[in-house]
Amino acid sequence: MTDIQDTPPDDDLMAAELVLGLASADDQAAARRRMATDAGFAERMVFWQERFAAMTGAIAPVKPSAKLKKKMLARVFPKPRVSVLQRVWLWQGVSIAALLFAGYLGVQLLQINTGPVTQPTVLAAQLVGETSGLQILAVVEPVKHEIALRRVSGQVAPNRAFELWAILPGQAPVSLGVLPEQETVRLLVPEALRSQAAQITLAISDEPLGGSPTGAPTGDVLAVGEMTEL
Amino acid sequence: MDRQEIENLIARVALKDRAAFDLLYDRTCAKLFGVCLRVLNKRAAAEDAMQDTFVKIWNNADRYHSNGLSPMTWLITIARNTSIDRLRARKKGHQDIDTPGLELVSPGPNPEEFAVASSEASRLSGCLDTLEEDRGKAIRGAYLDGETYADLADRFGVPLNTMRTWLRRGLIALRECMSQ
Repeated sequence: MTDIQDTPPDDDLMAAELVLGLASADDQAAARRRMATDAGFAERMVFWQERFAAMTGAIAPVKPSAKLKKKMLARVFPKPRVSVLQRVWLWQGVSIAALLFAGYLGVQLLQINTGPVTQPTVLAAQLVGETSGLQILAVVEPVKHEIALRRVSGQVAPNRAFELWAILPGQAPVSLGVLPEQETVRLLVPEALRSQAAQITLAISDEPLGGSPTGAPTGDVLAVGEMTEL
Repeated sequence: MDRQEIENLIARVALKDRAAFDLLYDRTCAKLFGVCLRVLNKRAAAEDAMQDTFVKIWNNADRYHSNGLSPMTWLITIARNTSIDRLRARKKGHQDIDTPGLELVSPGPNPEEFAVASSEASRLSGCLDTLEEDRGKAIRGAYLDGETYADLADRFGVPLNTMRTWLRRGLIALRECMSQ
């Protein structure tokens, strides 16, 4: 080896070094930018990638275990987290806490209806907001006409209040009241709404303390949910 | 492996066709696992690299179409780069070579021109053998063992700059040999 000097490489050698992984991090970043705009340089990268990949020609194939494929597929296509609950409830995204709460209510209802009365339909709604993070579970207790609410996640903003609204198709929202700070609360369903409870959509709006001054929602709608029969 | 078949499968994977992805895995996993094992030399590490490789294939298949690489080269390059990243991650001064984009290059003018024929492998191998023995070993070491200039300089007991010049000359000779 004579005449050893660290001469800078031409584009082609730079491309070869990049493909081999010998280039510095700075050079790599610059090369990536260049490949997007410089077709000639991209072509040199392709040239070397094709040639060097031929080095793997002598490598014998090895069959991986069947377990590896399963693991890989589970990573690429993760199962929806709530799939089991969805099957049981046909009701999206219900949490374990919500399930327990609904179950607890169900027991109470059974105790109330001891006689040979037809089992009343239990209605429930899950109110969720895409951006607010607010999630509230509502169950309508059909004998006392109460809506039991449980806030699963989300906090009210300082000096603001959550107000609950019942909306029937084609009608203006009717206020069911301002929610207190605690996580659970029971509110009475207004008499006029009781016969159509199954068509109600519940919504939570952001209001000043004490509730909307106008009788209609004035702030952002933070969460919405339709009634579903359980 | 039929080039056209693999190309079609990648095109369908780009459209998020799960059945095609399943089939692409079945067709190519043995070759790619061989590559991962060759680089990493440990079964568990090679299996992890395989998982990463196929996650990348699923996510980037839509970028294959225009990059000018033959389909097996594209897949092999992802498996090789992913494996070498894992290998280097164990060492200090880790440098990520598998920055997205290196195997996902922009369109070359004439993709067909660069297709790897099966004879290409033996031709390259022959050319590597015509190099001075050490230079051929150094190029193989960089590609298949992820050795850096510092690693190579260490192994051959020469200064870093000497190693660099030496390997670059090897590359020039290789290029000449392959274009004959």
